[in-house]
Amino acid sequence: MQKILPINYIEKINKDYFIIYIKNKELALKSKPGQFFELLPMGNYKGLLRKPISIYNIENDTIGFMIKKIGYGTKYLSQLKVGDFIDFLGPLGNSFNIPMNQKVMLISGGIGYAPLFYLSKELKNKHNSVIWIHGGRSEKDIFDSNIMNYTNDGSYGKKGFVTSNLEKILEVEKIEKVFTCGPQIMMKEISKITQKKEINTEVSLESYMACGIGVCKGCSVLIKKNNENVYKTVCKDGPIFNSKEVVWDE
Amino acid sequence: MNNIETKLGKLQFQNPITVASGTFGYEYSDYVDFNKLGAIVTKTITKHPKIGNKPPRLFETSGGLLNSIGLQNPGLENFIKDELPKYRGFSTNLIISFSGSSISEFKEILLRLEDEEGIDGYEINVSCPNVENEGLAFGVDAKIVNKLTGELSKLTTRELTIKLSPNVTDIKEIAKAAEDGGADSLSLINTLLGMAIDWKTGKIYFKRGLAGYSGPVIKPVALNLVYQVAKTVNIPIMAMGGISNWMDALEFIYAGASVVAIGTQNFVNPKITIETINNLQNFLEEKKLTIKNLIGKANMEEK
Repeated sequence: MQKILPINYIEKINKDYFIIYIKNKELALKSKPGQFFELLPMGNYKGLLRKPISIYNIENDTIGFMIKKIGYGTKYLSQLKVGDFIDFLGPLGNSFNIPMNQKVMLISGGIGYAPLFYLSKELKNKHNSVIWIHGGRSEKDIFDSNIMNYTNDGSYGKKGFVTSNLEKILEVEKIEKVFTCGPQIMMKEISKITQKKEINTEVSLESYMACGIGVCKGCSVLIKKNNENVYKTVCKDGPIFNSKEVVWDE
Repeated sequence: MNNIETKLGKLQFQNPITVASGTFGYEYSDYVDFNKLGAIVTKTITKHPKIGNKPPRLFETSGGLLNSIGLQNPGLENFIKDELPKYRGFSTNLIISFSGSSISEFKEILLRLEDEEGIDGYEINVSCPNVENEGLAFGVDAKIVNKLTGELSKLTTRELTIKLSPNVTDIKEIAKAAEDGGADSLSLINTLLGMAIDWKTGKIYFKRGLAGYSGPVIKPVALNLVYQVAKTVNIPIMAMGGISNWMDALEFIYAGASVVAIGTQNFVNPKITIETINNLQNFLEEKKLTIKNLIGKANMEEK
């Protein structure tokens, strides 16, 4: 679906992160955890392509997009005000497969926190017990004091990486399923560990993107299917893949 | 006469707006009524399936898009089996884009497609910059373009359009060679060659180094080449290159295009084709103009 909607509310987290909220019942009803929208700010925007932004939260009619200021597009989005219009294409892509009554672990890095937030709520609705490990470079990449946090510089939580103590936690907590989103290198390391332990793992991949609907093949990633490596689109076949399918060392 | 109708060689178009090969697919049917387009042009297909180039495949610049897709496609037979049936049902023109690695392979693909119903024309891709030994080598050599066009035109009564590369010394020479070979029309331009390098590290961004450049920034280049070619040949032109709205479309029609294709802008606004058709129609009606009377009428008159 394509809809032009005004920003309903903006939440500034810190100088790098912010959340844009819109209200639309139809889009909120259609949106599932792991899916994303392609955003095109209206007005004076000088970028060419839309920006793919994952769904951070849904509450009744309200959809939240948590965004990190990285390039021109996300910086432009950060300067918008309540009432400014954005052209939304979506919800796009596949979604996380949500189990029932399982012990699951969420592992996020940086802005990879965003899609796991909505997922965590839906997991709890389906009676899963959820442990969440999050990592960032420093304190400003930390969003929730109630989860297990790591920072590279030790400015908040434990000093280290989300993978530092992962093997042991998976074992002790008897984790049955892992969901992860973050830097490629982080997800690759997590996949190695969970594969060894034979824990079903879903990863949310990121890529440069153009059309967002599977046409241009610009966001392709190498995926193993029936012992053959093929390119699949992050936008339509993904962004969620089983970690076993992903060819990390392309 | 309907003021928005036009023709491309043998084909009647209900309006001049179509899509640039590679930027459009069946997925757009969620956003666009394909019956309303002047034509559908498919992504380029090749004899065998192509897995495509190693990522990264996209890089955005100010107003432009570099791509290195590498003609990823399911191959001729899978296309005929899985995709062609979906496109056949529409009442508009269906133009199949294809590429080959030799003249005999181009002929083989065309002959196979001749067996299939519901196809109105072929766009011969001799100009994709993103594959080795495929297309581009043909597109830069006037003699080969002439020979290829000559061989293919003998094999079909469907519209035969040759897609030209801008990455040549003299596009007019290639255009003339295609016309002399029996092409019914020309389509131009394919993407410009470009590349990206990271200033921080010196790292070349694309694995193949070069990439194809498209988007609004290339419009003036495309406009000039369409204008030059239109003055050189007598066959009609399907123009593409940075066309993002109905005003851009009109500029290309003034430059000599009978049909215009929207490419990269589909990625930005999936409904851009339909919006362009509607806006163009409104403008023509308001000004009491017809497309056919505007083709090639770029001028230096004071108004």
